[in-house]
Amino acid sequence: MLETTLHPQGRALPAAPNRGRRADALRWIAGAFFLAALAFGIVAWAVGDVFFLRLATEALIYGGLALSVDLLLGRTGLLPLGQALFFGLGAYVSALVLKHWAASFWLALAVAMAASALAGLMGGLIAIRSKGVYFALISFGLAQVVSKVVYNTRELGASDGLIGVPAAQLGAGLSTALPLGFFLVVLALIFATWALLSWLMDTPFGRQLAAVRGNEQRLAFIGVDPWRVKLAVFVLAATIAGASGALYPMLRGFVSPELMFFQVSGNAVINVIVGGTGTLIGPLLGSSLLTGLRSVVGSWTEHHHIAIGLLFVIVVILAPRGLVGGLAPRLQAWLDRRRDQELS
Amino acid sequence: MDWIQFVLAPQVINGLAIGVAVVLMALGLTIIFGLLDVINMAHGEFYALGAFLAVVLIGLGLSFWLALLLTPLLLAAVGYLTERTLIQRVFHSKDRHTLTLLLTFGLGVLLEDLLKIVFGANPLRLETPIAGATELLGLFFPNYRLFVMLFGGAVIAAVWLLVFRTPLGAMVRAAAFDRHMTASLGVPVHQVYAATFAFGVALAALAGVLLAPMYSVFPTMGRDFVFIAFSVVIIGGMGSIKGAVLAGLLLTQVQSVSSLWISPVWSDPLLFGIMVLVLVWRPQGLFGRLGHA
Amino acid sequence: MKTLFVATLTSLAAASVLAQTNPIRIGVVTPLSGTYAGIGQQVRWGLDLAAREINAAGGVSGRPLELVYEDSEANPAVAVQKAEKLIQVSKVDFLTGTVNSGATLAVGQLAERNNKLIATTVSFADSITGDKCSPNVFRVNARAGMQSAALADWMAATRPNANVFYLGPDYEMGRSTVAAFKNAAEGKGARTVGEVFAPLDNKDYSPYFGQIRGARPTVIYTSVAGNDTVRLFNQMAEFGVSRNVQVVGASGTVTSQNLAAVGRNADGFVTGVGYSPLIETPENKRFVAAFEAANKAQPDLYGTDSYGVLFLYKAAVEKARSTDTDKLREALRGLSWATPQGVKTIRAGDHQAMQDMYAVRVNGGRFEIVGKVAAAAAIGPDVCTRF
Repeated sequence: MLETTLHPQGRALPAAPNRGRRADALRWIAGAFFLAALAFGIVAWAVGDVFFLRLATEALIYGGLALSVDLLLGRTGLLPLGQALFFGLGAYVSALVLKHWAASFWLALAVAMAASALAGLMGGLIAIRSKGVYFALISFGLAQVVSKVVYNTRELGASDGLIGVPAAQLGAGLSTALPLGFFLVVLALIFATWALLSWLMDTPFGRQLAAVRGNEQRLAFIGVDPWRVKLAVFVLAATIAGASGALYPMLRGFVSPELMFFQVSGNAVINVIVGGTGTLIGPLLGSSLLTGLRSVVGSWTEHHHIAIGLLFVIVVILAPRGLVGGLAPRLQAWLDRRRDQELS
Repeated sequence: MDWIQFVLAPQVINGLAIGVAVVLMALGLTIIFGLLDVINMAHGEFYALGAFLAVVLIGLGLSFWLALLLTPLLLAAVGYLTERTLIQRVFHSKDRHTLTLLLTFGLGVLLEDLLKIVFGANPLRLETPIAGATELLGLFFPNYRLFVMLFGGAVIAAVWLLVFRTPLGAMVRAAAFDRHMTASLGVPVHQVYAATFAFGVALAALAGVLLAPMYSVFPTMGRDFVFIAFSVVIIGGMGSIKGAVLAGLLLTQVQSVSSLWISPVWSDPLLFGIMVLVLVWRPQGLFGRLGHA
Repeated sequence: MKTLFVATLTSLAAASVLAQTNPIRIGVVTPLSGTYAGIGQQVRWGLDLAAREINAAGGVSGRPLELVYEDSEANPAVAVQKAEKLIQVSKVDFLTGTVNSGATLAVGQLAERNNKLIATTVSFADSITGDKCSPNVFRVNARAGMQSAALADWMAATRPNANVFYLGPDYEMGRSTVAAFKNAAEGKGARTVGEVFAPLDNKDYSPYFGQIRGARPTVIYTSVAGNDTVRLFNQMAEFGVSRNVQVVGASGTVTSQNLAAVGRNADGFVTGVGYSPLIETPENKRFVAAFEAANKAQPDLYGTDSYGVLFLYKAAVEKARSTDTDKLREALRGLSWATPQGVKTIRAGDHQAMQDMYAVRVNGGRFEIVGKVAAAAAIGPDVCTRF
């Protein structure tokens, strides 16, 4: 009902889910996803695989970045074209902590999150004043400027990046060098992030975000400062992106400036759109699917970029709700029918 | 005096050549936004397409001048088709802004990859059509650059006249101001949209052909101008032609002259800083927008 | 009893023959798409030709070579992922193909952690066999320091005490290449009259020409590459900046990938490099003819060095009588082998290949040899301390 008051003309991209009803379908899909991931991990470990476990871990790490993009795009209506800035920042900070301070998982993660939050605050103060294409361009420009600086800074390895990042210790003898162990840790972290965000969307803050997306001016009329709301979500998104980035050097043992480049930001946006904007689980699904696809298709043909590009354009034109966005209503309808049948 | 003649003047004149190039790109962008409310993130790729098409035409035996004439026309047709088949589809949804942004973004990625596949990743050459240099103020300037400045300037003036002094231009401005009213007055708004998009694309293609002998041709060349063209459009005011021209010329001068004192690597960050400041002070840019200012 | 004995013996023999003829897999992670696809193409041509020749002559210790390719997209993050696929899934015995130094270093680290060896045939950053050397990383091509040495030598001989202006792209590689050459040149008496760094992917170099003209150099040294070279050289010709000035630069500045686009504006450009198709040895002539016949294109230094790496591998495996990593590493250290550029030797201290270096001038699309520096003089000191 809130929806109708704020959006009398309906919408093309999926709206924030009506709590209670549509949330069911999304939770089902999410549950299926996490269980499947768990099963995948165990099977892969059982057959002694290393590559696919690490690829899946990488897909989840990029999934975290996609979550942060969805928070801005799907929930607040802001398109970020430079989210890789925080991802890369988290990665570099994590690498530096692990190399020069202590090889502790928790320390690296904490410091990276703090750094990203701070950067998010500074970036947000600049970017939040605008929306639409202005926001997209400022976000893009920020990432360009910072990545250029990193690319030129010798102390950060310049264009070669930093190698020699040791595996991080989680305590109790667990190290991120273990493929299955680290996969499960990352899965748990992503699950926690997803759960936190899902919960957050049901709180007043979550509804304020939806309001910003719908009609910012009216939000001011009910006494909430949209600027603060946007800044808060920007910082949150930056922190999530930074936390995901922090996991990257633990997986691969190095960082390079390419982690901040536009291709990473662009891929994240593509992952979100294909997966399903605004659904939170959609971006995770999209990220997993497309990371796998990029790797597999890339081994067959040099023309893999265009395949993904084509897929993206087709989705935008024909299925702008993305995979989950299209699937969820059908699933919801089926669930509702089942529930009605049970009740009657 | 020496310094002004031998150091400052060349910077200013070279800045003008770059400025004309940037304005041509920014014009197309701002016109498309001004009328259609569409941010064409594939604008750089249409610029690249223009350059590649010219290479192909010249390879087939046409002269550079014929290619200069034909390429914008051919790409205008491509632009018209793109608008009617792709952009129209997402045009009427309420999240049109984000969707068209994403669509043109995806289109840009696609076009760039297509160029790489068809032409390979290596750069291609376009011979300078006007050889030689002229002495001006004691220094030599390549004749072709002077031509680009003059020709580009003429095109910009023509566009201005077209938009502000002809009935066609009035129709376009009316449609930008209020499309429903304009439609109800019998103006075929859909065709106007497609034609305007085609026009913007043609300008980008023209810039592509014009600049190819100076800047060479390769698949990622579209990225050369994306950042600066968008910055100019934003600073000048999205949809404002006056803004695009003035901001384009001014900002390229700022970049050109400032490179005398600050390391050239700070050019782009400087531009970015100016853009942020303008957005803070005047969010609609210096001159507002087409039909409105 | 006797039948059982004979049967066991026969099956053992059969098994060992089978073991001998299963292929040796070489993993090639190289840019097949993207800006560096042209280099990846040469790498592929060189490797394919070498593999065909080696297999036609009986393979390595009787086993055929099999090349498995993956696209690194010139991105270290992708390169590492693909390299891991090659090691874990394709079970390769040896890696090669990396182009940019970031990728070589990152994949080298992965190779170390998986106990495999990698040899690069393109990356020329000194750090790879210098301060970031690794016991599992080898380099078959010349490093930047060797290229500078050859060029500085030629310049001192033909233009003693020249006034040199430096123009480079503003990023680590561009700056360090300029710095390295400046060092070598000043050591031989050249004078620096100016230095400017333009942004990477810069379109228009005309803002710098005033400065260059004002400094009146006799030599301009540049470390731009790829598309930047095309713009710089064409614009320098347009503005008459390169008239009466000797233009020299890094080996990556003018290559077969951008030569066509620069055209005659590259004539007169001199660089220090480890290869030219015009090297007059019978091996090179044979190699160039075979390469052209197979690919309808001339080999460049990337194609040639990639061709050479498989012969190095063959020589090492046959010396070690094994593909085991530790034995191979021992065999590689100090190993000399024949290449189209002559005999190269892998220096044991840092795994860097030593070879004669050439000063080469571009003229009408050909890379003419105008100078030569012997391997020992060009190699430079061994600064690798890890092993």
